[in-house]
Amino acid sequence: MLHASPTYLDWNNSLDILNKAYETGLFVLIIGPKGTGKTSLVREFTAKKGANLESINFSLRTRESHLVGTKTLVEGTVGFDEGILIRSMKDGSILYLDEINAAEADVLLRLDEALDDRRQIVLKESSGELITANKNWFVVATINPLTHVGTKELPPQLLSRFPVRIRLDYPPEQTELEIVKRHVSGSHDDKILQGIKLANTLREAASVEELYYSPSLRETIAFGKLLDSGVDAKKTANMVFANVYAQWGNVEYQKVNDIITSMFGS
Amino acid sequence: MQSLHFRNDVLVEIATFLARRWSQKDKLVVEFSDKKENQTKLKENRISLVSPDRYFGASFEKYRQFRTAIWYEAMRAKFCKKILSNDHAFGFILNTLETRRIELLGRKVWRGMDEELIFSYGYAWVYRPQLANVLGKTRIVEAFYQYFLFGDIKGEIQPSYYEKIRKAAVRAKEILAEALEKNHDTEWLEKKVPEILSILDIDALVTIPLSIPWKGPGIMVTPEDLVKALQKIAESREADFGKMDAQNILAGKTVADEFKVVEEENRKNENKGLGSQSIGIQVPGSTNVDETRIYDQDLISNLKTRFKEWKTSWKEQHVMSGDEFDAETYIEGHLPFLTDIKKSIKAKIVILVDHSSSITDQQVQYKKVTVALCEVLSFLKIKFSVYAFNTTQKQVVCWLVKPEDIKWNTACAKRLAQIEANGGTPLADVYQKMYPILRSKKPDIFLTLSDGEPSDPDAVRAMVKSLKMVGIKMVAIGVGHDTFGATKIASNLKYLEYEKTLAVSRLKDIPNRVLTVLQTS
Repeated sequence: MLHASPTYLDWNNSLDILNKAYETGLFVLIIGPKGTGKTSLVREFTAKKGANLESINFSLRTRESHLVGTKTLVEGTVGFDEGILIRSMKDGSILYLDEINAAEADVLLRLDEALDDRRQIVLKESSGELITANKNWFVVATINPLTHVGTKELPPQLLSRFPVRIRLDYPPEQTELEIVKRHVSGSHDDKILQGIKLANTLREAASVEELYYSPSLRETIAFGKLLDSGVDAKKTANMVFANVYAQWGNVEYQKVNDIITSMFGS
Repeated sequence: MQSLHFRNDVLVEIATFLARRWSQKDKLVVEFSDKKENQTKLKENRISLVSPDRYFGASFEKYRQFRTAIWYEAMRAKFCKKILSNDHAFGFILNTLETRRIELLGRKVWRGMDEELIFSYGYAWVYRPQLANVLGKTRIVEAFYQYFLFGDIKGEIQPSYYEKIRKAAVRAKEILAEALEKNHDTEWLEKKVPEILSILDIDALVTIPLSIPWKGPGIMVTPEDLVKALQKIAESREADFGKMDAQNILAGKTVADEFKVVEEENRKNENKGLGSQSIGIQVPGSTNVDETRIYDQDLISNLKTRFKEWKTSWKEQHVMSGDEFDAETYIEGHLPFLTDIKKSIKAKIVILVDHSSSITDQQVQYKKVTVALCEVLSFLKIKFSVYAFNTTQKQVVCWLVKPEDIKWNTACAKRLAQIEANGGTPLADVYQKMYPILRSKKPDIFLTLSDGEPSDPDAVRAMVKSLKMVGIKMVAIGVGHDTFGATKIASNLKYLEYEKTLAVSRLKDIPNRVLTVLQTS
């Protein structure tokens, strides 16, 4: 059993699952919308294990060379700078591939090679050397749901490299309250709970595309922190949850504002 | 056609959003109806609302009552297991008990509604009938309603009746308290209604005429009357709502901002120099239309998944010069520099959808496809407007389904849903009607979706030519029943001098074709 730090709440036993996967050498895929604590979970796990964490955040600009490495030319000598994948394989660190489904298909193909059961990769970019992963090498990847901007479906062969899948959704109300409380000092549970209910209402609206944005756990934590600093609950709700919708026009903003009014009054 | 259609659009959009969020039911349909009372149909997932115009007071007061009415109906949709008709004593009393139950349950989360609830109660109290004007057994039921919800009765009633009413209200509150404490639902409350009826000594089937008095001449209320009523309600409901100030309730500062937005949106649309109506384009006016029947969620999700790459707006491409040098590509002999190219579509597009009688047999499918196309265009944040034409009362009508400056929403879908396929294909006539708008808005692409040849080809050719002169790219998509029919229509359309003509035999291919046109433009 792994014990979490005071600010981390392992509400769905993900740390245990990660630990079991680690012990059995199975790679893990964490699936969930943004801001549900995927990165915090991996950071927490690495800290508990006392391991080294190598992480990369995928985007359309991520290239194969970022993973594998690039050739260098120093004083007339051609060298090779190892990328994060090779480095972590050699060191036996935990490799964290964040938002892996934001990357282009050709980048993912190279990953596929290293992630199969042989845990090896041929370094064709350098001397053609065969790199075999250290026995402690462990990979955790995350994907955002396909509805998120810039996400792609993960190719099935790559998906199968991560046989352990953890679904990390927004936590239940009371759990989210517990999480937020770990970040605040004051006692305003009731107001925080209203803030969480509001966040959930907006998340539901975003999930059916009635709104363009879904608030994350970070926002509910920010809501709690601002309450701590003495800002009034309705004002805080406006700052943290409503104002962001103004970019999509008056009506969008007002719809959210009205939900806030009906929750917090004057 | 109504003159306030834009205001209703905004209201329907806000009302739908609020009702869905308050009730946590994503599929709830909100519509305006001509009926005299608000209604929630649980099985159909539908709320029919009385238009705000039919409430009392100035516009702001009307809006506040309308908003509270949405809240009550949303709470009914969330908490009620069944809603009986109000026209007999049994149903009326059950609904009265339910009103208070859902109000107390709803307030646990929606705490900001308190002032608004009291405000609506104030108006309801002022306009509730005097008991002397209510005849027969109905008077007892009305007196119970007033005593139970407002804490008092209007006018006088025989002492023996008064005692029964008081006892029934006390018992009803006990029943309600138990229901709330033990989390009982509508069905449990329903079993308790006979008890109330027997205390009141009335038959379950006594007919209750609709007693909601709508505004009429001679029943004006002064602000003082309203303040008094608010004070009275605030006092009698203090146990539930806590202490509240009548003046604050009357001011309604919390909702004022929202009302301003409704007003602004209204003004924005009124101020357009070129009103669509003045040039012969009409807006479908009914708001009690079920738009869900023309929504094909599978098709919409498929299209969104297929085109979601466009949403990222950027795509990396290898070019001859750029910011980032890619050595590997250079060694492999390809273009060495990387650059991001914008994938999003800047083109402004106007879509005209043919609703002539030839599509009658497949009009639902046709509308589903149009809705899916609009959903995807909106998802990709492409600027577009949608028009349709048919023949109504022997006249060709060009309907505005979605103006360019309003986001695609359920109100637009409602408009499309109510256009019936009818009449011929007098395209030139329709182009003529749209000409002033097209000239002033100057879209990049004008796309006509038609399943038949126009009845006035020569005139169409002339119109297409003049629209091309304005700088609009004219595109036509021919929709046929089979491949042969579609190609035939498309090749005929080509003779009309469109810049691009396409053929589709499967309706579901339309969105793809349209998006391909946009991509290549």
